[in-house]
Amino acid sequence: MKLKRTATLALAAALVSAPVLAVAGCAPDDTIVLRVYNWEEYMDEGGEDSYDGTEAAPSMTERFEAWYEETYDTPIRVEYTTYGTNEDMYNQLMLTNEGDYDLLCPSEYMIMKLAAEDRLVPYDDSFFDPTIEENYYIRNVSPFIQNIFEGNEIVRQNNDAGSTWADYAAGYMWGVTGFIYNAEAIDETQLAELGWNAMTADIYKNKVTTKDNVRDTYFVALAILYRDEIKALDRNAENFNEQLTAILNRTDEETIKKVEEILRQIDGNIYSYETDTGKNDMVLGNIWLNFAWSGDAVYAMDLAEEEDGISLNFFIPNECANLWFDGWVMPKGAQKQPAQAFVNFLSRPDNAVRNMYYIGYSSVISGDRADETYGSAVLDYVRECYEADPEETDDVILYDLSYFFGENTAFYAETEQALSRQLHAQYPTQEDMLHCAVMDYYGETANENINELWSRIKAESLDAWAIAVLCAAAVLIIAVPLAAKFGKHLEFRKKPKKGYRQVSQKSDEI
Amino acid sequence: MRLQFSRKMLGIPYAVFLLFFVIVPMLVILFYAFTDKELHFTFGNFIRFFSDPSKLSTIAYSLVIALITTVICLAIAYPVAYILARSNMKRKFVLLLLFVTPMWINFVLRVNAIRELLSWTGLLGEANYFNTIFGMVYDFLPFMILPIYTTLLKIDHSLYEASADLGAGWSKTFTRITLPLSLPGIMSGITMVFLPSMTNYVVSDMLGNSKVTIIGKFIYEYFGSNWHMGSMVALILLIVVFLTTWLTGGFREDETVRGANI
Repeated sequence: MKLKRTATLALAAALVSAPVLAVAGCAPDDTIVLRVYNWEEYMDEGGEDSYDGTEAAPSMTERFEAWYEETYDTPIRVEYTTYGTNEDMYNQLMLTNEGDYDLLCPSEYMIMKLAAEDRLVPYDDSFFDPTIEENYYIRNVSPFIQNIFEGNEIVRQNNDAGSTWADYAAGYMWGVTGFIYNAEAIDETQLAELGWNAMTADIYKNKVTTKDNVRDTYFVALAILYRDEIKALDRNAENFNEQLTAILNRTDEETIKKVEEILRQIDGNIYSYETDTGKNDMVLGNIWLNFAWSGDAVYAMDLAEEEDGISLNFFIPNECANLWFDGWVMPKGAQKQPAQAFVNFLSRPDNAVRNMYYIGYSSVISGDRADETYGSAVLDYVRECYEADPEETDDVILYDLSYFFGENTAFYAETEQALSRQLHAQYPTQEDMLHCAVMDYYGETANENINELWSRIKAESLDAWAIAVLCAAAVLIIAVPLAAKFGKHLEFRKKPKKGYRQVSQKSDEI
Repeated sequence: MRLQFSRKMLGIPYAVFLLFFVIVPMLVILFYAFTDKELHFTFGNFIRFFSDPSKLSTIAYSLVIALITTVICLAIAYPVAYILARSNMKRKFVLLLLFVTPMWINFVLRVNAIRELLSWTGLLGEANYFNTIFGMVYDFLPFMILPIYTTLLKIDHSLYEASADLGAGWSKTFTRITLPLSLPGIMSGITMVFLPSMTNYVVSDMLGNSKVTIIGKFIYEYFGSNWHMGSMVALILLIVVFLTTWLTGGFREDETVRGANI
């Protein structure tokens, strides 16, 4: 009841408010209003918890407003709203008019969906000109990320051949999926051997969790289903990652049918489907193994260390993992100039650091080392967090992140940090990245099928006879009061005993 | 012409509210439930719902969970309400307050607290259905106590005296006077516990580790991906709710003592 009310109310409110929003958008003076729609808690909001650490520290949007006015000599105001899931964002976009939002931050598959449905406008060519000082995005984005964005074509019906993600999206944060595990309870070699199969392994029964989210769990099921095929691939082959990505994007009927089997095994083996109780359950020791996005993993490890002195580790299965992004896109009707300026401002390395610090995920920004002011900010921040002095301790290794930050950027880090803790989660090694695959948008039909599959898995299952019995019971429950209700009007009620007079129910009205 | 003010005009704000926030949304749900993605009329969602055993099982489970919750709530609430209403304790409102105060504390906070408790006792993750029902009973108990308490309080004391005068014992007085006269309170208590416990998926998610699925969760998930199917499930739930309310006499007008108006 509660939910139904909220849902309908929200719907009605959205219907009513859509035109109002459009009107409210027109500011009386020449101040530009930039409407940014982002994930919850996904940008530096200033204050004591921010990187600058003072109560007066401005939020990222306030910083932008000041910077924009200074740079372009036009006042601007950011209207910042947030959403909880990609689907919420999509639904909201469908309910509002073109031009109600200037900038959105969906995940990769939602970017593909929006682009395929022709709802986005591309970035200007000038956005990619590295000679312009304010083009912080193109100057500072990691080549690793930009290669992926340029290497993935956008598929749609009226295909303007050759357009890639890079034309429509600018990266924001990225990461991989893996397991957080409790090193005291779990044998690491065993876990490494099992990989994603840990999700269905008897030894972890009731001690492992997955996300209450169909795409993540479907990925795990695919990894389990095609484990042998993936292992048989030649890792040194030029097109290894392409082959891997193809396998991990299978959505044909045959696959879905087999995946259902595996999802049932997972369903029987896990402790819970969770969206945010996993971290707490890890710390409490209720579970040993928690499917996690890397940014969440960093947060959970920090938390466990600070508050409970428990040490949690992060593990990326060797056979494959999911590489994900969130990126900035402009829906149709967006004000392109200020929107692109906003993306550029976020991509200035010092701001990238502020956001990384605040939200715990890894920015796509690596830094342009030719830029003396800001260029090394991100790498400096990472080193500040993780660098260890080899003269003080022997337990260090040279951690090489040149695939992300460019050449000559290796630094010494504590072995444990580098191999299984925060650093490993935040910036996996190049070797790890080789077997990370991007998961595409499934497409309309497959998406529907997979959602149905998910609802079947999550639903309660009863045998046919049990349904019959319950239906019979329900009919009975309905029939008995019905009979009582209408029985009154029939004549089979007992006549009053002799000597009594039946008093009318309404007699008290006299 | 002078604008005549009539008392009926006081109802206009509510009528407007009713129109925009009750009637229009209902129609929207009805519209979505019987259309497909291209907004063509279809019975497809209806057929899909009733031809899928997993959906029917979930409805059946929701009904059973709600039924058990209601029965337990009633079994706990009635004696408490009875004792409170009949006792001559000086400070009985303090006791009543103790039952009601949990309602003033944020719902999510309470569910989280129970989660911690269950985790501490080791039940969390071991007995998902039990935990779900436990949480629902805890959350909805005040909604059962209050209406029963108010109806019991309103029973004229002279009825008990008359009953005693005529030589009826406690049990006879209870079955002939107390119980029948408190029936409206019981009914509204049942409505107020039964209906939310079919849809309150926060409890089943948090305490049942999301491994217990009730019908409300379905609606939530469908509204992420397919509004048409989601509307159909919502509509079916609406019908179930309507039937339940009607059967428990929720629409009868001759009851002045219904406790639902707390």
